[in-house]
Amino acid sequence: MAPTQLALLVLLAPLASAAVIALFLRRHGGLASMLSVLAAAVVAGAGLVLVFGGQRFNASMPWLQMGSFTLSLGFKFDDLAALMLSVVGVVGLAVHVFSLGYMHDDGARGRYFGGLSIFMFSMLGIVLADNLLMIFVFWELVGFSSYLLINHYHEKQSAADASKKAFIVNRVGDFGFLLGILWCYWSLGTVNLSEIAVAAEGGKVIAAGIPLLLFCGAIGKSAQMPLHVWLPDAMEGPTPVSALIHAATMVAAGIYMLCRIEPLFAAAPQALTAVLWIGTVTAVYAAFCAIVQSDIKKVLAYSTLSQLGYMVAAFGLGALTIDHSHGDGVVHSVTFAAGAGAAMFHLTTHAFFKALLFLGSGAVIHACHHEQDIFRMGGLKKLPITFITFTLGVLAIIGTPGLAGFFSKDAILYLAFANNKAVFGLLAFTAVLTAFYMIRMWKLVFLGTPRSENASHAHEGGISLLAPLIVLAVLAVVGGYTGTYGRLAGSFADLIPVAHGSDHTVILVTSIVVLLVGAGAAWVFYTPAPKDALATRVPGAFAGLTLVKESFDGIYGYYVAKVQQRLAMLLNFVEQIILSGLVIRGVAGLVGLVGMGARALHVGSLHVYVYWFLLGVALFWGFAAGVF
Amino acid sequence: MTMHVDLLLVSIATPLAVALAIFAGLPKRYSVKLAYLGFGVPAAIALWLWSQFPSDPGDTYAFLSSYPLGLELLGINLKLGLNGISLPLFVMSGVIGFAAGLYAIQSGAERLKIYLALLLVMQAGLMGVFASVDVFFFYFFHELALIPTFIMVGIWGGRDRSYAAMKLTIYLTVGAMLSLLGLILIYYQSGVESFDLISLRQEAIRIPLSAAAQKYGFGLLLFGFGILVSLWPFHTWAPLGYGAAPSSAAMLHAGVLKKFGLYGLIQVALPLLPVGASHWSGVLTVLALGNILVVGVITLAQRDLKQVVGYGSVMHMGYAFLGIASLSIIGAGGVVLMMVAHGLSVALLFLLSTCVHHRTETFDLTEMGGLAQKTPVLAAFFVAATMASIGLPGFANFWGELTIFIAVWKLSPWVAAGAVAGVVITAIYALRAAAQVFFGSPTEAFSRVLARTTPVDLRWSEKIPALILLSLLLFVGFWPRSLSTPINSALQAIYPALKVLPLEIVRK
Repeated sequence: MAPTQLALLVLLAPLASAAVIALFLRRHGGLASMLSVLAAAVVAGAGLVLVFGGQRFNASMPWLQMGSFTLSLGFKFDDLAALMLSVVGVVGLAVHVFSLGYMHDDGARGRYFGGLSIFMFSMLGIVLADNLLMIFVFWELVGFSSYLLINHYHEKQSAADASKKAFIVNRVGDFGFLLGILWCYWSLGTVNLSEIAVAAEGGKVIAAGIPLLLFCGAIGKSAQMPLHVWLPDAMEGPTPVSALIHAATMVAAGIYMLCRIEPLFAAAPQALTAVLWIGTVTAVYAAFCAIVQSDIKKVLAYSTLSQLGYMVAAFGLGALTIDHSHGDGVVHSVTFAAGAGAAMFHLTTHAFFKALLFLGSGAVIHACHHEQDIFRMGGLKKLPITFITFTLGVLAIIGTPGLAGFFSKDAILYLAFANNKAVFGLLAFTAVLTAFYMIRMWKLVFLGTPRSENASHAHEGGISLLAPLIVLAVLAVVGGYTGTYGRLAGSFADLIPVAHGSDHTVILVTSIVVLLVGAGAAWVFYTPAPKDALATRVPGAFAGLTLVKESFDGIYGYYVAKVQQRLAMLLNFVEQIILSGLVIRGVAGLVGLVGMGARALHVGSLHVYVYWFLLGVALFWGFAAGVF
Repeated sequence: MTMHVDLLLVSIATPLAVALAIFAGLPKRYSVKLAYLGFGVPAAIALWLWSQFPSDPGDTYAFLSSYPLGLELLGINLKLGLNGISLPLFVMSGVIGFAAGLYAIQSGAERLKIYLALLLVMQAGLMGVFASVDVFFFYFFHELALIPTFIMVGIWGGRDRSYAAMKLTIYLTVGAMLSLLGLILIYYQSGVESFDLISLRQEAIRIPLSAAAQKYGFGLLLFGFGILVSLWPFHTWAPLGYGAAPSSAAMLHAGVLKKFGLYGLIQVALPLLPVGASHWSGVLTVLALGNILVVGVITLAQRDLKQVVGYGSVMHMGYAFLGIASLSIIGAGGVVLMMVAHGLSVALLFLLSTCVHHRTETFDLTEMGGLAQKTPVLAAFFVAATMASIGLPGFANFWGELTIFIAVWKLSPWVAAGAVAGVVITAIYALRAAAQVFFGSPTEAFSRVLARTTPVDLRWSEKIPALILLSLLLFVGFWPRSLSTPINSALQAIYPALKVLPLEIVRK
């Protein structure tokens, strides 16, 4: 098959699966799940053939034309897209297989797997798109599939609220994103990614507002401050969905999109500063919030926020200039898009270990009969495979040397060290917090003795639950070595900043120290107990962190209830009373009072209305036309 | 091509003939069977002509035919044809009419025969509006469709039906009168003393209308058509009227008939009165933003499902007006796309709201909740319709909004920002309403209803009309070229020749 056809197959297989499920398999959960998994397998298989086949290509066809505006439906399959495709394909398949077991007894399995298939289709559209508007189209569609899947347990009010919130908050981000696209279109005359790169690299002046507005899209989708509030709530969805959509792929799409438009940022570096600080603040803030969570999925959700902040910050650190000496004393300066390289590297390793952690938490929740409170777990090391794989995931995320997270986190720390020492300090501190809250959770869940009925009766799940864990655990171990990526690594590896010489020592020491401090503190501080040690021993700190966590929701809740809804009520009142009441119905009465005759007071007869209405329109028109 | 020539006439005459037969006293069982024919034939013709439409028509009309009525001396002729602008609306009209008709036939309304006959007259008028090349008949068919609307609201309407019917009548009559004045002004000022749009355009290319005539003519048409399309602040008839109207009438009026005004602005007013249009563009922009932002926020305060749909529909007209105010091919083309999409989605929403009402026995959102547990298919359809109306890609609505936004950015980035903000507002009220009806657990009030009767999921008689509307929304959503190609071809040929230009170029 030609690569273009293969790419089409990758894109359309999940769409076909979703369509068939929606039309025919609503009540046939078993068939629906098989079909959906098959589609995911086709995506993974054909995707990997494409990725490692080595062919890179562009292809497009017209989709819509109106006047001078043309929009094409096209593929831009370069190394960046290939990397993202392999992540989506592999994690996607793992999650689909995991769902076979996890959702086996769900009454609405057809809807669930249909939703997963729509998601795969939409996500792959973002990956393959060759222009910003096409990214936007699929961007909205992933938002829709996320809405569907968060709302899977729709009879729960909290799930219904969370799905609505996720969609609306994302729309707020997309407000900026769409404006950015419009601006980009009229400013550069194109939304095609390759043409944008040519224009930006060709020295065309780029207003900083364009990349900043486009970044708004990433703030929404990748849940950066201040639009991060939807992601923790999104944990209402089934756990495999959290793994796929709200940890590994969709929320990472914001970072992917930023890397797609990297030339715009390179041409308007002021915009990068905003990106850098939003990412950094999100990383620190979310890590603090994670410390006081008691729901296993919420810990992971805040951890995801924090790690996404890491990636955004990495992108915001921008290019890196390094000096190469060639032994003959001549020094060459090389500048490369290290920010994008580091961000994508971390995106990839994070996708593996975070999907692993979420699926692992799913296995734990499954084993404990839907118990999600870590203070009611304990002693789960008796589930050997879940325990080992989950532990590997924890070790990877906290940056244990040799595992995936170590390499990608060090790349970011090194870049921060080279470009911005303040950010370096904050990110290193975030790493301390990361090790702290992960070890806290790990110890509470797996060590000690079971603290609830459900936890004591826990037993390991079936093969469909365990196989994905094992695959992802392997990737969480080897994902940091660029050799794993075969033919991809060539261009991909060149962009990853790697410390040398004394910098290397500084970074290595830093990352080992933060790991030991964070993990050690948690190990000492928390004991497997039914109460949060922080809440009992330092209640002030616990209350403070809880307040910090809830402040945003509080402010937004106040805005929605007290500002937005009151404005709506006020305008509605004005409309009902003044516009349709007084002006339209009662204008006859009012004017009659100033002497137009008693006849006009006969409100109720049709033609009087007509005349007064006509007069009103004429006055309005004359006013608008400037007659008066 | 000859075999297609009379199909346009057939598409108008069939529903009219069936209506006359029913009025003449046809027994009920034949009436219902014939009604299928009356609604089905226009839809079949519309889809067939779509498939036969030339790929690059330019400014020519396809399927052109003329029927002398003895009014030639006045410059009036029953001349039918479709160009790239009217084709999409003609198709939409046929499809929505079919869906609304199917639903009405199965609805078991009181005095079903008369109801169907009125609906068929409306359908004939709607097909005529978009098939007319002659401006007189364009107007005449609109009136033909309008009168049954008043009657249907007045007789079969729900709450407040007499007040709603009266208000509807006043507003729409005034709007129609103003636009008639504008059309008559064009008739006299153009110098051809004809209502034939083709000769009007040719003459306007040769000698444009005087600037003053254009200014007043466009003003009359803008406010006349504007009232018919619920331009802010002349919109208050719409939510009230739709709230009271029976569902099939609301589907046809909000979905199709309302588009008459926008269609008139794009097909008649903009090409013939471009200078007038640029004069009014600023005012129109402000009022359109009123539709989007003010009415949008008002929609947030609605607690009645039908009012949410009604106000939401008014709000979306703001996008259409902005597309017109942008005075560009992108904008006007976007409006045509949007008209089709909005027509289908709002008809679908009115249909599904009625389906909800049959199960909850109320339109009050605060007395519902958790319906999806009982009726998952209805919930799925409703969520799909909601997503269409909030402009999710994959549905036709997205393309209309997107092209309009692109055009409006050129008008002013700030106006574009206001318009795009409307997209957020829409998401808020639409998703809130969907969640209040279907998700969470039943409210106390709805629990009492549930205790009496168990709601059944969507019946086939409801599902088929809904599927028809949804399929077309998705088809255009995935394949926008199917409509954008003829629209673009026509606008590219018509607008530059008549100097419909972006604002800044005209003013400088």
